[in-house]
Amino acid sequence: MVPWASGVCSGVHAAGSRDVVYVPDNPLSHVLRDFEARFRDVRLILAMREEEAFGIAAGLYLGGRKPTVMLQSSGLGNSLNAITSLLLPYRIPVLIVVSMRGDEAEWNRAQEPMGRAVRSIFDAIAVSHVTVEAADAVAGVIRTTGVNAFETRLPAACLLSRRLTSPTVV
Amino acid sequence: MTRFDATRTIVEIAGDAAIVSSLGHPTYDLFAAGDRERNFYTWGSMGLASSIGLGLAIARPDVRVFVVDGDGSLLMNLGSLATIGLLRPANLVLVVMDNEEYATTGGQKTPTATGADLAAAAQAMRIESAVTVRTEDELLGVAWPFQGRDRGAESPAPPGPLMIVAKVTESAPTAKPPLDYIAIKQRFMAAIGNAEC
Repeated sequence: MVPWASGVCSGVHAAGSRDVVYVPDNPLSHVLRDFEARFRDVRLILAMREEEAFGIAAGLYLGGRKPTVMLQSSGLGNSLNAITSLLLPYRIPVLIVVSMRGDEAEWNRAQEPMGRAVRSIFDAIAVSHVTVEAADAVAGVIRTTGVNAFETRLPAACLLSRRLTSPTVV
Repeated sequence: MTRFDATRTIVEIAGDAAIVSSLGHPTYDLFAAGDRERNFYTWGSMGLASSIGLGLAIARPDVRVFVVDGDGSLLMNLGSLATIGLLRPANLVLVVMDNEEYATTGGQKTPTATGADLAAAAQAMRIESAVTVRTEDELLGVAWPFQGRDRGAESPAPPGPLMIVAKVTESAPTAKPPLDYIAIKQRFMAAIGNAEC
């Protein structure tokens, strides 16, 4: 059991979300395993690409669910049209969990430009976001982010820093 | 068969089913063919109509879900066929209005104009019930088991999702739904029993 990953699952569950649409990512594999081990009532839905994941999440919401989308920060670039022309104008809430690349101790330069831009992009499209660095804070921050998203009917993001998800590298 | 003819046929078959439409001409035609509470009109997010329909079909297995997509739109999100083929919701009917062009943006040709076969692509992704139709009679023949008002046990609907590629000619849209996105959403959600407020 990986404490930060358990925190993600507990937070998503406590926010009332039972549907997680995801595009795989190495750190997020711990989260997927924890969901399968501890939260069998959470439906895990694989998407081929991040934009598609947000489309599926929107449909889940229309059907009465509270959807979560989990993705790597690099995939935010693939998601922007879905967030800005579907979630925002229609006020469709999604809890967004972002596994960060390109921040501290990134070994792959190709990940840096998008990693650096993630917060600015969320600011530019007025999607609220919070960054988590401490494992014992994850569950509470994600729960609050999700509850707020679903109450206000707006997407909101929780960014999992590499300090949190890849401590041996950082 | 024009796209409007095909859209009107789908609305007739759909009964009380939900219908999700792709932005542009499919959304305009759905509104003109029959504005109804259970229509979810997209005004953006090109390519995602099938994904929205998939999420809805999973969330509400008790609701028949039709998607009115376009060939250009689906080609933007072909991975959706793999996801639908993986999850296989039996209540999903994906209708692709294939006019072989990007009609909404001025008629540029799509790959289906030179033989790209979307039904074959769907079958390859495990949507076995994927067919191409060219007339209204063929469309009716394929879609009638999925009538929204006829979901009884006697229904011969196949055990997985259905995809219909309807080869259509372009018909100029005659009307557009209102641009009030939140009203579109709230009317739709209330109609299928998921009222927001």
